[in-house]
Amino acid sequence: MTIQMFEKPLGMRDDFPFIAKKKAELRTSGTNMIQQAGYELLQTPTLEYYETIGKISAIEDNALFKLLDSQGETLVLRPDMTSPIARVAASKLLKEKMPVRLGYYSNVFRAQKREGGRPAEFEQMGVELIGDDSLYADAEVIILAGTILKNLNIESSRFVIGHTQLLQLILEDFGLNQEQIEQVRSAFVSKNSVGFETLAKQLPIEESRVESFIGLISTTTVEEWQQWVNPHNSKQSFLFEEMKKLKKILDRSGLSEAVTYDLSFNSHMTYYTGVVFEVYAAGSGFPLGNGGRYDGLMKQFGLEVGATGFGLRVDRLLEIMSAVSEQQDHTLILFDEQNEEQAFDEAEKLRANGTRVTLQFAPAVKATDEFVKHFSEVLRLEGAN
Amino acid sequence: MDALTIAMPKGRIFEEAYELLVKAGYDLPKELDDSRKLIVEAPNENIRFILSKPMDVPAYVEHGVADIGIAGKDVMLEHDRDVYELLDLGISRCYIATAGMPDTPMNKVSPRVATKYPKVASQYYRGKGEQVEIIELNGSIELAPMIGLADRIVDIVSTGKTLKENGLVEYEKIVDITSRLIANPVSYRLKQKRITDLVERLRKQAVL
Repeated sequence: MTIQMFEKPLGMRDDFPFIAKKKAELRTSGTNMIQQAGYELLQTPTLEYYETIGKISAIEDNALFKLLDSQGETLVLRPDMTSPIARVAASKLLKEKMPVRLGYYSNVFRAQKREGGRPAEFEQMGVELIGDDSLYADAEVIILAGTILKNLNIESSRFVIGHTQLLQLILEDFGLNQEQIEQVRSAFVSKNSVGFETLAKQLPIEESRVESFIGLISTTTVEEWQQWVNPHNSKQSFLFEEMKKLKKILDRSGLSEAVTYDLSFNSHMTYYTGVVFEVYAAGSGFPLGNGGRYDGLMKQFGLEVGATGFGLRVDRLLEIMSAVSEQQDHTLILFDEQNEEQAFDEAEKLRANGTRVTLQFAPAVKATDEFVKHFSEVLRLEGAN
Repeated sequence: MDALTIAMPKGRIFEEAYELLVKAGYDLPKELDDSRKLIVEAPNENIRFILSKPMDVPAYVEHGVADIGIAGKDVMLEHDRDVYELLDLGISRCYIATAGMPDTPMNKVSPRVATKYPKVASQYYRGKGEQVEIIELNGSIELAPMIGLADRIVDIVSTGKTLKENGLVEYEKIVDITSRLIANPVSYRLKQKRITDLVERLRKQAVL
């Protein structure tokens, strides 16, 4: 294969000036919001050991960029931010302060299997709240994700929330072993209703309960979950009560209309151990971000503490935001020689008020009708007033 | 009512699926004989149909330009896309099978398989522990064993007529195929009410 001079490795992109500018703005506003919420920013290395972060990150092995260092150790380009931050927290920070709130805005690397043009390097911003296993921590990160999206003028965002541990316990109650539970979970991750219904008929579930079992895949409210919660199982009842409390807090924070509670929702990332969520908005066919509780990941670093967080995909946010910001106010002042002075004064006044103003000498525009279409407001200062 | 965009495969599956939607009570335009159109509007239901190559439906849905789509399970197996598979419509029933010239074993030195479904074929033979070379073709797959390009083909069989006409016999059945209703994961969440309603109405009509 010959490589052309202008080519880049598969999935790598140049950010042209207008994208770089948008990213810089997003970085500033994003990290400000994260810090405002009491999180401290952190940067971790681009390269990590395959043996530690590579394996713990739960990213598919063939999506990792691997290389060797001079000692022959296998390294990876960091595929996520959660596991490096967990590593930092476990090794150092937690001994000094707990709970610890950490935020980041970093690029991560994941090799793409399909359609070479998909980004293999992309930025994520997010937070990790480590050392707090209460539901208030879960609520805090969901609300923060909602706030960030709202402040970025992404109005139509929608959260889907599930609970991996409660789901696990409920599936156990149906008499399934771990292998069968994994099969069910995997059908849930891809919302494969057809595969799930076929599976339901093959699994050793009491015939009277099959219909109820199939219902697991289509819940939208916490109240609906109750029919599967075993009241004699104290752990299940406890987790369900917690979910109800979580809902109350989110409702109070103005998210009541924006959340779907889907008991079958879970992630292909196996380290999640509690509340998990994903967030979407109109304008992108892909999720904007996701998050959840990952106490299991901390355990791999030798710490028995609660941890939760989320990450948002910067590239997808930009995709949606470009649609939003194009509708920005932009005033055009068209003037002729006679009104020159008044036009300059008017522009200065408007700009001082924060309006974006283009000042244009009218006779210099060839196709006026076309030109004015690019502006939300047009002020004509022509002829004798 | 949210606008809904549905990606449909052109041809026979389109007609079957369209009929299914009409049976499910959707008020769709009756005259659709202008088959060159790529976009068909159903204003009464606020639905827009995109007509595409069957193989492309999952791509439209994965990227969210279509909220839902109707795709053959064969296409979904071949192109592993991130879409939700919501319902088995039971239409366009067929299966993927291996076929070849009668009474011909696989070549021991260089076994070759011709197919439109390289991924499905490769998975099948690897699963059996057989090492074969896969040759991807885009059509007239039956030709391959007839002229000695391959020992076997892996292809869709619905009636078996094409195989017979070309003097081929079916060897092993790989997997059953029907058309599925698929959804973009984001659309599914943002337009859940409308999509769930569609699924329930179609479920009652599905040919199972």
